[in-house]
Amino acid sequence: MGFANSDPAPTAQAVKILVAGGFGVGKTTLVGAVSEVAPLHTEEYLTRASVGVDDLVGIDAKTTTTVALDFGRITISDELVLYLFGTPGQERFWFMWNDLVRGALGAVVLADTRRLETSFASIDFFESRGIPFVVAVNCFHNIRDRAPQEIRTALDLDPQVPLVMCDARERSDGRDVLLTLIEHLMARHPAPQPAV
Amino acid sequence: MRHWTEELDDDADEPLVRPYTITGGRTTAGRDDLTLITLISLVTAQTPSGTDATAERHALQPEHRTVLRLCARRPVAVAEIAAELDLPVSVTKILIGDLIETGRVRARPPLAFAQNGALPDMTILEAVRNGLREL
Repeated sequence: MGFANSDPAPTAQAVKILVAGGFGVGKTTLVGAVSEVAPLHTEEYLTRASVGVDDLVGIDAKTTTTVALDFGRITISDELVLYLFGTPGQERFWFMWNDLVRGALGAVVLADTRRLETSFASIDFFESRGIPFVVAVNCFHNIRDRAPQEIRTALDLDPQVPLVMCDARERSDGRDVLLTLIEHLMARHPAPQPAV
Repeated sequence: MRHWTEELDDDADEPLVRPYTITGGRTTAGRDDLTLITLISLVTAQTPSGTDATAERHALQPEHRTVLRLCARRPVAVAEIAAELDLPVSVTKILIGDLIETGRVRARPPLAFAQNGALPDMTILEAVRNGLREL
């Protein structure tokens, strides 16, 4: 990556991985740690039927919300570019953003041991949509105060879902989190049939 | 005495132009096949395929020219173009749609998977894994 001759050809293909988790859990930090460019920022208008709890009677039934996300890029090869999308902190908005979710290889749910409950919504969402994911526990300042099994229990995590500890600021940790997801996806493939 | 424009700077985050002004008031793209990671690349042929009438209807805005400039070096995802233009994704898609219609750029859709719970191709996964290992 980063070399002029590694730019993707016009026939290049793009894939994406979502980085989800509660507000302030370090999503953009993780994206920035592994991205070859400083995280880019974009916004989208989402129109949704307002069924939330904070509706006012008499207000138009549809509301338009602006949701923002940060994303990064890793040029894998001339033919393949990986985009990492840090999902907006407020799940109730991006859950409706089909374009963001559709076609993702999988997702990383970033968790903070001090506020594990902020990860519940993302885990529920990926489970219900059948989107493969791994949980990465962001150990701020390398404080590992809770055992992985304890966190698994607290998150009520399916035993097959990988859980890894990381420091989202570290490039090598971010890389390992992504590798864990890719290997998790590969493990879901049926074993190749022997050639006849 | 302060000039009235001085106060405009106070709200630098608020764009002075409504986003859909750039699209001539259109709020939906004529096409719905563009995604966040659809790759947009420049059509290098000198003669755009669109008719003159189409070209006239969609006279190039400065933002259109910025899109062309961004795609000139390598294929660029829709999301990247939106980020560079500092415009919402939906507005960006309309502008890109104009350029596709007039034959100036082409779109390469992302690989179709994970839409119906299908797994990505093993060769793609291996390529991503090998690429990540080199980080």
